[in-house]
Amino acid sequence: MSTRPIVAVPPEALRIVTFDAAMEASIAELLPRYPTRRAAVLPVLWLCQERFGWISPGVVRAVAARLGESPAFVEGVVSFYTMYQTAPPARYVLQVCTTLSCAWCGGRELVAHLKERLGISFGEKTPDGMFQLVGVQCLGACGTAPVVQINDDYYENLDVAKLDAILDELAGRS
Amino acid sequence: MPKLTIDGHEVEVAAGTNLIEAARAAGVAIPYFCYHPYLTVVGQCRICMVEIAGQPRLALGCATPAADGMVVKVESSERAREAREAVMEFLLANHPLDCPVCDQAGECLLQDHSMREQAATFATHMLETRRTFPGYERRLIGPHVVQNQNRCIHCSRCIRFTREISGTAALTYKSRGNSTFIDTFDGSAFDDPMSACAADVCPVGALTVREVRFRKRAWKLRSTPSVCPGCSIGCNVFIDHHERVVYRFTPRENPAINATWLCDHGRFLAESLNEQAYLDPQHRSGGLAVRVGWGEALAGIAAEIRSAGALRVVASANLSNEELFLARELFGRHFKGEIAVPVAPGEPRKMRNGRGEWLHATDPHPNSTGARRLGLAVVDGEGLSRFLYGGAGLTLILDAGAHPFLASPEALQLLRVGTTIVWARREHPAAHAATWLLPTPSLAGNEGTFTSSTGAVQRFAEAFAAPGSVHRTATGAMSPTCPTIASPWGPPGEARPLWVVLTALARALGVAALDLASPADVFAAMVRKDKAFAGLTWETLGGRQPHESFRERQHVG
Repeated sequence: MSTRPIVAVPPEALRIVTFDAAMEASIAELLPRYPTRRAAVLPVLWLCQERFGWISPGVVRAVAARLGESPAFVEGVVSFYTMYQTAPPARYVLQVCTTLSCAWCGGRELVAHLKERLGISFGEKTPDGMFQLVGVQCLGACGTAPVVQINDDYYENLDVAKLDAILDELAGRS
Repeated sequence: MPKLTIDGHEVEVAAGTNLIEAARAAGVAIPYFCYHPYLTVVGQCRICMVEIAGQPRLALGCATPAADGMVVKVESSERAREAREAVMEFLLANHPLDCPVCDQAGECLLQDHSMREQAATFATHMLETRRTFPGYERRLIGPHVVQNQNRCIHCSRCIRFTREISGTAALTYKSRGNSTFIDTFDGSAFDDPMSACAADVCPVGALTVREVRFRKRAWKLRSTPSVCPGCSIGCNVFIDHHERVVYRFTPRENPAINATWLCDHGRFLAESLNEQAYLDPQHRSGGLAVRVGWGEALAGIAAEIRSAGALRVVASANLSNEELFLARELFGRHFKGEIAVPVAPGEPRKMRNGRGEWLHATDPHPNSTGARRLGLAVVDGEGLSRFLYGGAGLTLILDAGAHPFLASPEALQLLRVGTTIVWARREHPAAHAATWLLPTPSLAGNEGTFTSSTGAVQRFAEAFAAPGSVHRTATGAMSPTCPTIASPWGPPGEARPLWVVLTALARALGVAALDLASPADVFAAMVRKDKAFAGLTWETLGGRQPHESFRERQHVG
C-alpha cells in the first residue's frame, strides 16, 4: 500500500484564496447534485481540504463567497465536524481506533507504543511535521481489529511490529 | 378562524397562529426562550411544551398552530409542568447563577421563569461541574456587544437575528454539543448596523450592550413610549430613564415600521438626550448675555415680533407636527413671516418591518415628512443660505440643530445682521449671535407627534412628566413662568418645549385661536385645518395604543 502524504499549503499562502479553473470546474460539477448551494458546503470544503491540505480562514471566506453564504456560517460548519483540519496537518495523520473491539485486540498497546515512539499525545504533531496522532471512535472495521487509518487508507490486523514497519517505510519514503 | 380552549379560557385566533400567541390572546403565558415573534420558529429550548387533549405526546407551543376545538393545558397540566421543570434543570445545569452581578437581571427570561415557577425546587441530578468557556466570559465581540458565553442557553435567537433580519449572518454557532458557543467569523468584530439588537433578543445575559452595562438596574428604569429621532423612518422606541437621566432606547413593537428592531445609530442617540447646555432664557444686549425669566423673555419676544419689519423663521424637521403647525399658523399666517424647514443631508438608513420589508430613509430628522405634509417649504443647505441672505429684520431659529449650516461662520455673520432669536439645547455657536436665547428640552422632555417616512403619524410621550401633570392651569397660568427647578419632574432647568412657548407667545400676541393648552389641543386644531391629518384622533394615534407590556418586554428579552 502506498499512502499518499498530505501536502499542506502554508498559512501565508492561504490568507487570500482564489479558486483556479480546475477548482472551479470541480465545484461546478458538484453543484447540480445538491438542491441548494448551501447543501454543497460540505463537499466543497472537502474539495478544498484535498487541494490545500486544510481549511484556513481564507479558504472559509472563499467557499462562503462562492456559495453565497456568510463566512461565519461556513466557519461554524467547519468547526462542527472533527474531520476538517483547521491547522496545517502533518504529512501523515494517524487515526487510531480506541473503541471496544480494537481496544481488546491490541489497540491499547498500539496507542501506548505510538505515543512513546513518536513522543506525542493525541491531537499533537511530531516536531518534524511527519506524523499526527488522533484518537478516534469506531472506524467500522471491527472484524480486522486493531485498525489505524493513515490519511485515506486503512491499515488492519495490526500489531506493534507491523505498525513499526509501516511507520519506518512512510518516514523513509519522505 | 380556529376557536380553542387554553387552560379553560376560550379564544378565537387567526388561522396559523401558534399556541404561544393564542395563549397570550387568552391571557395565559406560555414561557419561551428561543421563540421570537419576528424570527423563524426552531423549537430549540423546549420550555413551551403544553398538553393537548387527545394527543399522547406533549406539543411545542411555538411550533403548533392553533386548531379548531383544541383543548390546551399549560398551567393546569401536571405533565407539562414536569416537562418544564426538566427543561429548566437542563438549562440551569450549566447556567451560572450569577444574577446578582449579571446586567440582564430584571429583564432575563430565564430568571423570570425561575421566579414564576419558584415552587419547583429545580433539583439537579448533575454530578459534573458546570461547563465554562474560559476567555469567553467578558468578551467584546463588536463595537457594542459584550459576550459572556457561560450564560448562553443556546437559543440561537442572535444567530437567527443576523441571518433573517439584519442580513449580515455575522454570528454563528461554533463547535458542537456541550461545547457549542457563539462566535463571529475568525474572531472578527461583530460588524452589523443593528448589532445591539442581538443583545436585545438574547433572553439571558450572554450578550449585553456595552454602552448600557452596569449603568442602571433594569427594574429601576421607567419606560416612556417615544419615537427614535435618528432619521425619518420613525422607529418606535421606549425611552428608558430614571430620575431624569435617559439611559437607553429599547425598541417598541410596531409591525409596520420597526417590528422589534432598532439600528445602532438610533439606539445610541439616547445618551445625547441628557445634554442640556442651556438652562435659562438669556437676553443679550451690547454683547453681554443676561439670564432672564420666561415672563420677561416672552414679553420681549412678543415685542420683537410685533415691531419686526420682516420676519423669517427657520423651523426644523426635528420639531413635532404640533410645533410646526403652531409656527406655521402663528408666524406664517398671522404675522406674514417666511418659514423654511432645512433638511440636512444624511446617511442612508434602513429598517426591516414586521413583514420583512426594508424601509429606507436619508433624512437625518424624525419629522421631515411631517414638515412636507404641513405644506412648509423644505430647503437644503444652499436653500437655507439663500433664505438667510434675504435681508435684515427678525430671524427666529426654532431649533439651532436644524441644519449644520447654522453653525457655519457664514451663517453666523448673516444672523448678526438683524435681530435673532434662537431656541437651543446643545452648545451651539448661533447662541452667541442671538439676542434672545431660549432653552428647549430634549425629546424626552417633550410631547407630540412625528410623521414617519411611510406617513404614519406617531405620538411620543414626555418621559419626565409627573403623573397627571399639566402645563397650564385652568386659570390660564403658563407653566413657563412656573419655577420648577427643584422639581424632580419636568424638563431640566427652565427649558420648555417649543409648543409651550409658541402657545404662550400666541397668548401674548393676542392670537386666541392658538392659545392652546396641550399638544392634544394643538393636534385637534391641526386635524380640523389640515387634510393630511384629517380623521386622526390623538387618543388612537400609532405609538400610543394600549400595549401589552408582557409581550413587549418578553420578546425583546
